[in-house]
Amino acid sequence: MLPYNWMMAVAILLPVVAAILIFIIRQYHVRGLIVILAAIALIVNSVLFLLHGKDTFSPANAQMWDMVVTVLDYLILLFYIYVGISLKNWLVLIFALTQIIPLAWFEFGMGGRAALAQVNPTFVVDHLAIVMCLVISIVGSLICVFAIRYMYDHEHHQHLEKSRQSRFLFWMVLFLGAMNGLVFANNLIYLYFFWEVTTLICFQLIAHDLTKEAIGNAARALWMNSIGGTAMIIAMIILFANGAQLSLNAIIGGGVVSAVLLVPVALMCFTGMVKAAQFPFQSWLLGAMVAPTPVSALLHSSTMVKAGVYLVLRLAPAYAGTKLGIMIALVGAFTFMAASGLAISQTTGKRVLAYSTIANLGLIIACAGINTPLSIAAAILLIIFHAVSKGLMFLNAGAIEHIVWSREIEDMEGLAAKAPLVTVITGIGVLSMFLPPFGMLLGKWLALESASSVVPLAAWMFVIASAATIVFWAKWLGRLFQVLPKLGSKIESLSLSYSVPLVALVLCIFGAGIFVAPIYTGFVQYAVADVISSGQALAASGWGGLAVSGISPVSSTANFPIGNYPVWPLFIVIAIAVLIPLIFIAVKPGELRPVYLCGEQVGGVDADEWYSTADAKVKVQLGGYYFQGVLGEAALNPWTYTLSIVLMVIMFAVALLAMGGAL
Amino acid sequence: MNAWIIAVITVIVAPFIGGLLAGIDRRITARLQGRFGPPILQPFYDTFKLFGKNRIAVNWGQFMWIYFYLLLMITALLFLVLRLDILLLMFILGFAGVAFALGGFSSKSPYSHIGANRELMQMLAYEPVLLLLALGVYAQTGSFMISQIYASPTPLIARLWPIFIALLVILTIKLRKSPFDIATSHHGHQELIKGIMTEFSGPYYAMINITEWYEIVLLLGIVSLFVATPGLWWLGIIIALAAFVLELFIDNIAARMTVGWMVKFAWSVGLTLCILNLIWFWVFAKGVS
Repeated sequence: MLPYNWMMAVAILLPVVAAILIFIIRQYHVRGLIVILAAIALIVNSVLFLLHGKDTFSPANAQMWDMVVTVLDYLILLFYIYVGISLKNWLVLIFALTQIIPLAWFEFGMGGRAALAQVNPTFVVDHLAIVMCLVISIVGSLICVFAIRYMYDHEHHQHLEKSRQSRFLFWMVLFLGAMNGLVFANNLIYLYFFWEVTTLICFQLIAHDLTKEAIGNAARALWMNSIGGTAMIIAMIILFANGAQLSLNAIIGGGVVSAVLLVPVALMCFTGMVKAAQFPFQSWLLGAMVAPTPVSALLHSSTMVKAGVYLVLRLAPAYAGTKLGIMIALVGAFTFMAASGLAISQTTGKRVLAYSTIANLGLIIACAGINTPLSIAAAILLIIFHAVSKGLMFLNAGAIEHIVWSREIEDMEGLAAKAPLVTVITGIGVLSMFLPPFGMLLGKWLALESASSVVPLAAWMFVIASAATIVFWAKWLGRLFQVLPKLGSKIESLSLSYSVPLVALVLCIFGAGIFVAPIYTGFVQYAVADVISSGQALAASGWGGLAVSGISPVSSTANFPIGNYPVWPLFIVIAIAVLIPLIFIAVKPGELRPVYLCGEQVGGVDADEWYSTADAKVKVQLGGYYFQGVLGEAALNPWTYTLSIVLMVIMFAVALLAMGGAL
Repeated sequence: MNAWIIAVITVIVAPFIGGLLAGIDRRITARLQGRFGPPILQPFYDTFKLFGKNRIAVNWGQFMWIYFYLLLMITALLFLVLRLDILLLMFILGFAGVAFALGGFSSKSPYSHIGANRELMQMLAYEPVLLLLALGVYAQTGSFMISQIYASPTPLIARLWPIFIALLVILTIKLRKSPFDIATSHHGHQELIKGIMTEFSGPYYAMINITEWYEIVLLLGIVSLFVATPGLWWLGIIIALAAFVLELFIDNIAARMTVGWMVKFAWSVGLTLCILNLIWFWVFAKGVS
């Protein structure tokens, strides 16, 4: 097995090296090969982390790395200032200044740098971090592989003079390294650094196509996430001023923080919420969909937004049982409800996916806020399943876009006849979001079971969101599978760069769905235990607690309800429902009939025209319901913004009151 | 009794009960309308006749969704008789409805398409109430397991009567009775032909009938849960039958309303009753532990 420092290097530095090579080598095949090799290395490495189990790590020449991080931090922030000035976007400029000035004052004026240098260890890799690393490395790498071919087709369609694929893949691969660093970081300045790197890459990727809209949306993502970055710096300053150690372990190690430190915890949770696009900050993620589809796939599934929920989840012990926790649960639950409702009114496929992502992130954050072993288990399972399903669906949305050259759901009518393979894979992706045995529903079920006793108001919001979720997914699926009475549609052929990631993700969905019980008992419950009682026991334990010492699986209360969810019987039911028709029903041409059009059909069985007035031939046109008057953004957003801002204000108010009471 | 035996008996017996109820439904409805009505066993004759018809199709997919609908409905019913998790039961029942809607969506037929859209709106109307019902069960018994309902000495209805009323509203939607027989209707459906059912035919239409029979049994079973106490098994049957007859009366005295009205009504009355009930628990009873 690889030495541990090598594993850390592969996780964080290998993507950097690979990205630079990709940027330099401008030859399609060689570049593609590097992406594939990097992907394989990252996937294997993440499995090594899984086998190795919990550990800590501090780089050998710490001073040099501290220096590198500091220099890069300020370079990034200076770049934001440059962006703000060159785009004349004052919000970007203001929120860059609110980061760089306090940061410099804190590090050099207050003497924060010395305190930061003392933090030991620099990285803590516990089971939650390993879960994240697996998600990032597997799902993220597959998306990068998909992007090789996708960007080729994308530019082919755009008729670009000069290829920008190298630049695109550079940022994509770099993203994986930054995310790995983020989830491993223990030292707050490292956390902040990787946080800023993801913000930067997100900006670069959204702006990739350089249209006016792309640049505008990228700038919005930048300034919104800069607000989050500012909050993290303020949190560091308050921690430092109160004499707390500047590491995540120190914040969460002693269970619930003292009332004085509740404010920095609230600030850091806020930082996570911004990145996780919680209301009222959802617009940056919605805007991000102007970017080429692999970007959306990466942002929505394994990186960026998952960093946000990771941080909130990571801090869970610090606000356990406080009013702050309840408010976090309510902010998340409200986002879940509002985003699910808004998703019904969306006519664009990618926007439906985006709202669904926001909704599910809300659910995960709400689970963190509820903060029982059961809800933390729900949150971790949701992170895993959501990454796989959403990664798959965005890649599919990209593949569909390259078939129908549209993102509108109405244009996807009858896709099952045009592109059966992509449609079936999309169907699997969508069904995995809400069909009973699959993981997402398991997570939602766990969330509801845990919410109802702790934060009932959140549970009620979950219920309404759940109902809305059914409607928008079913509506979309209905459009895809709406076909004319015709037999023998040809299965389309896909480039390997498309089909391999798609098939791999489908296998992940089924694998993780069917084997959720062993995955939970063998691994996820240790992550749950780590989240709840983190920082206390840092003994190594890998898969199934191979070398367990000082760590125990979470109590049987968290185990028990999953036993009530009969995963395998439900999968068998679903399999029978699919296999019986597949094996026994072969529709013969003679059995086909036209649909009922009051006898006014034109032509044969598969005609979709009818005789209208004066025998004019009119095509049958069908459309989904969108209820834009009631559930549209124009109708709902005044309410969602007001309520979500009120919730966030109350969230800070409870933290401030706690601090005021303590002082 | 062995769980397997219970499951097998349920799968065999439930459609007979459901079919009989459908027959009683037609007979009572006829009497209410001043007609004599068909024999009680007429639904069975109809279904056997449908099974004898040749298969015709508008596409392959509709068959798959019918299997989903039937099998998930049976699964949901098994959850009830085996006394498993009620929240999961509601999710499975929910997806059974989705599968049926997808069957309606699968053909490019205006009638079935609009019917399917309306089916989804019906789900939007009733799904929150069904899930809140499960939360209500938890609030009172401290568990989502149906076995706990049977074990608890106070029947659910003692403290969950507002949710019970909401359930009766939802039952009207689920049983496709006026004023909520919107996606399809058991009576002549003027504006949408047969709505979501339009493109189903022959043996597969028969399968949908059988699924509906399972559904009647399941829903009335959920109704009977509200009076479940150790030793009083017959009370459940009486209350379920009373609810069923009540639905028939409502069906015959009410006119069909619009989709929007249904959603508004179900949410404003059903959802409000449920949430007030749960708030009462949270604030006063502290039944939640």
